[in-house]
Amino acid sequence: MTMNTPSTRENLIASLTEGLEPVRQFKTRDGALWVAAAVAASGLGVFLIHGFWQGMFEGEAAPFFWVTNGLLLLLGLAAASAVIAMASPNVGNRHDAPRWAAAMVGVLPLAALISAFSGGDVSHSTEHVLGLHCVKSSLIAATLTGGALILWLRRGAPVSLNLAGWFTGLAAGGLGTAVFGLSCPLDTVMHLGVSHILPVAISAVIGRAIVPALVRW
Amino acid sequence: MIADEATLARLMVASQKGDKTAYNVLLAEAGLWLERYFRRRVPPHQLDDLVQDVLLAIHNKRSSYDAARPFLPWLSAIARYRWVDHLRKVYKHEADLLEDGDASVDSDEDVVEARVSLERLFVNLPESQAEVIELVKIEGHSIREAAQKTGQSESLVKVNIHRGLKKLSAIIEKAE
Repeated sequence: MTMNTPSTRENLIASLTEGLEPVRQFKTRDGALWVAAAVAASGLGVFLIHGFWQGMFEGEAAPFFWVTNGLLLLLGLAAASAVIAMASPNVGNRHDAPRWAAAMVGVLPLAALISAFSGGDVSHSTEHVLGLHCVKSSLIAATLTGGALILWLRRGAPVSLNLAGWFTGLAAGGLGTAVFGLSCPLDTVMHLGVSHILPVAISAVIGRAIVPALVRW
Repeated sequence: MIADEATLARLMVASQKGDKTAYNVLLAEAGLWLERYFRRRVPPHQLDDLVQDVLLAIHNKRSSYDAARPFLPWLSAIARYRWVDHLRKVYKHEADLLEDGDASVDSDEDVVEARVSLERLFVNLPESQAEVIELVKIEGHSIREAAQKTGQSESLVKVNIHRGLKKLSAIIEKAE
């Protein structure tokens, strides 16, 4: 550790001032546009590769289909909003909304479990319940949103890195799974409560594991 | 006398647009504010290094300031982040202890507020963690000395420092 004199700080300030360039002002709207573009691109990819499920437009979808995808969308939006705000740090920020949204989505696998143990929805095969195709495709659909949020955080100055990691994973997983969900015709409690929640949990864990190192500054 | 919140916010907005005069004043004022902010929480010989580190962070991250929000909570969050990072790096035994007199030069109300703001992070830690972080990371005592002073084993001192710093980094924005 070197000893510094006041003139060292003055020199630093003079040098920083000399090199000052205008910067684009922070706007949460910009972050929202990044996320919207990433979700739209994911949606286009899902449409081109899998096609959207026609049944949902023809009234064939069970109410649980809309409840699950709606909650995933809300979780994704709540977490994405928190991540966007985290790029501009402030003492006093709390970021509680994604926790509550995640808790609400956590009810879905519980509903599946209760349904299974109470004999309400046990007629499905393991493959039907745990659809690896849905898990894998949802995670792939999550990558664009995750990437956009990571770039956004790198552009900003996040100071709650671990939380930013969890929320980035939740946002990407929630939005990616909701988008992919539009192509999946399996609308039972068991399938949606397991195969469409698992990718969100996996995405959150991946986010916590890799995002802090990528956005540390 | 350090500029008030509204003035600092105006200077920051002008700086984001490339106004060099405003930026020079802003950095000088921010430097003074940070000096007071850190005074009790950093040994005197490390103070200027930390202030300069935060000034560089302000420069590199100036686009992250949201003009729709107050300036000082943004600056505090960045200052706390760099401070916790600084604490993590201080592993060596430091001979220079922080004397009470080093911290008592200023008595303005805003100085007290700034200090309280940093202290807020510590009140969220269990006493056993805050005590050893204070002794080892701020006052520069060795692990062994901290163990003797607190009655904790050396391993426990290390564990408490690790857990305390982890918790500090998690509550940078939360602790008001």
